[in-house]
Amino acid sequence: MIKALGYFIAIIKGSLITTRHFMVNMWFHTLKLFRIKTKRKGAVTIQYPEEKRKIASRHRSLHRLLKREDGKPRCVACMLCVTVCPSECIFVEAAEDPDPEVQKVPSIFIIDLSRCCFCGFCVEACPEDAIRMDTGQIEFAEYSRDKLIYDLEKLMG
Amino acid sequence: MAKILIDERECDVAEGTTILKAAESAGLQIPHLCYHKAFMPEGSCRMCLVEIEGLPKLELACSTQVRDGMKVSTKSESVIEARKGVLECLLADHPIDCPICDKAGECKLQDYYEEYGLFESEFNEEKEKRQKKIEIGKNLLHDQERCVLCRRCVRFLDEVTKTRELGVFQRGVHAEVATYDGILVDNNYSGNLAELCPVGAITDKDFRFKTRTWFLQSRESICTLCSRGCNIYVESHQGFSRFSLPKRVYRIQTRENQMINGFWICDKGRYDYSYLDQERLDKIVVNNSEDPQSWQEITSIVAGEIGRLFHMKRSSHIGLILQSWLSNEELFLIDKIFRNDINIGKISFLDPPEESSDDFLLTAERTPNRRGAKEIGFDLQPADWEKFLEDVDLLFVFASPIKGDTDFSPLKAALDKIEKTVLFASHNHEINSLFDMVLPMSLIAEKGGSLTNIVGSVQGFSPALDAPGNCKPAWQFLVDLAKKLMINFDFYNQFSSPESIREVMKKEIPYFREEHE
Repeated sequence: MIKALGYFIAIIKGSLITTRHFMVNMWFHTLKLFRIKTKRKGAVTIQYPEEKRKIASRHRSLHRLLKREDGKPRCVACMLCVTVCPSECIFVEAAEDPDPEVQKVPSIFIIDLSRCCFCGFCVEACPEDAIRMDTGQIEFAEYSRDKLIYDLEKLMG
Repeated sequence: MAKILIDERECDVAEGTTILKAAESAGLQIPHLCYHKAFMPEGSCRMCLVEIEGLPKLELACSTQVRDGMKVSTKSESVIEARKGVLECLLADHPIDCPICDKAGECKLQDYYEEYGLFESEFNEEKEKRQKKIEIGKNLLHDQERCVLCRRCVRFLDEVTKTRELGVFQRGVHAEVATYDGILVDNNYSGNLAELCPVGAITDKDFRFKTRTWFLQSRESICTLCSRGCNIYVESHQGFSRFSLPKRVYRIQTRENQMINGFWICDKGRYDYSYLDQERLDKIVVNNSEDPQSWQEITSIVAGEIGRLFHMKRSSHIGLILQSWLSNEELFLIDKIFRNDINIGKISFLDPPEESSDDFLLTAERTPNRRGAKEIGFDLQPADWEKFLEDVDLLFVFASPIKGDTDFSPLKAALDKIEKTVLFASHNHEINSLFDMVLPMSLIAEKGGSLTNIVGSVQGFSPALDAPGNCKPAWQFLVDLAKKLMINFDFYNQFSSPESIREVMKKEIPYFREEHE
């Protein structure tokens, strides 16, 4: 009996908190309506996904591989990203390029996004500035894991 | 003997030793690019400059001989400054294309810059443009931009192979290593050049862009492709957790052993390593289909077959065909089990035919342990196969790990007539389908033991790779089999490792008692 009473008290406490937040926010919104400036602002809910928040310039989003002027990947398959990746989600295989100034290009470049932890180490390790995480894309959920394995073509976009 | 002080560390060395060698014996490292233990000092890279008390200028550690009472400093301010200067000049014309260089990770120039350099280069000029990809040998590529002109490659071809295919041409900033009139380096030791090069100027076509050096794990082993028994490192990739690789072994490197191969290995040993990974047999196969039975059950079946014939006093109807890829320990066990215990009488060797040798390391015998087999007491002459296979009821064959080098044709016709045939193989081969039972065996690189090379040196080896699938070392199978046979259980029960077998072998065979290292 006493135990059950405890539940009711918790519910009442919770409702009071909700009411307090509502009243406080309502108060600040009302003040704003009358153009009264306050230090604190009333809380606003962003209506995601219709409405989206601006992504900061340093935000780490989906990877992309940069291209050379002639459209070839800038990546030289040095495998430093593979080495540094803490979740071992990058796989690179190198191939020979006929141009002696380029020599080494990736024939396979795979990022397994289902494993990636978005630490950004690959971007920092890259000596050629060939990989970046600045696409601003944060919505790439899929229904199957296979579709989260991004290959060279997909990463070069 | 001369007493000298290097960095306040006293060392006693023989008169005539160079400072660099003396420092190494005292455990001090002096950086050097052009100097190599195998050659006379060259003194061209200037990395090994040291300060000697009483001398006005810095001296080369690689070519200056010690004098009694000499005081050498390898860490003084002027030495550190000089090293930086030398490195800056070496790097002034170096492309610094480490991301695409196969040497990166084991490059001396890279290491020394990390350790002694770390300067901002004062050279703002454009770097000299040179050829970046020249074919200089059947397995070698040359990048003239990366070359530091240490002349190790030239000296190797002058002093070791004496073929003299490379030379340094032009002068000053235009100096370059090149072939004479485009005649390629084509000798059986050319692969050593890529390993010898302290930077990435000469690289291996076989290893080119396959992986990066820091992914490789280097383990000691012995080359088994001829009877010289050169000491090698097997370098294998451990793989990634989410992605599979096409192979395990990426390259073979030399391991110094002055008694056997010096600093070198031949190109056959260096490049013909694909047998370690390709077409491996890793399952027990019975009647041409994968068998779900465990090794224990299989061993019982084999022991049962042998026991049946043995108790019927028909052990002379058991045949055994061996090859000399088996280690000393395994051959010793075979000798004990099949000759002493069961006394089968029909044992013969089926080794590949001899091939041409060169007069340096590569021998004509293309199996690693013929000498060991001889010392244990086997007759290595090939048998008259028709006579050998007559009235054999149970035949055991150890197949060679190298595909296509052994001629099985004399056996083929007789195999159908034999009641039960068992093959110990490490690879899938067409001959496998002719046997009733095929058991997967580990290679030398995957097990422990010892081998006796052509001149009689007994060399121990330990596993450099993990055995794939269900493969088992032959010695282990033989010990299990002998224990199941219950003829001399106590004797075989003491064997738990190749080392324990070798201990007993040393007691029983005088040859292995002596040191043949």
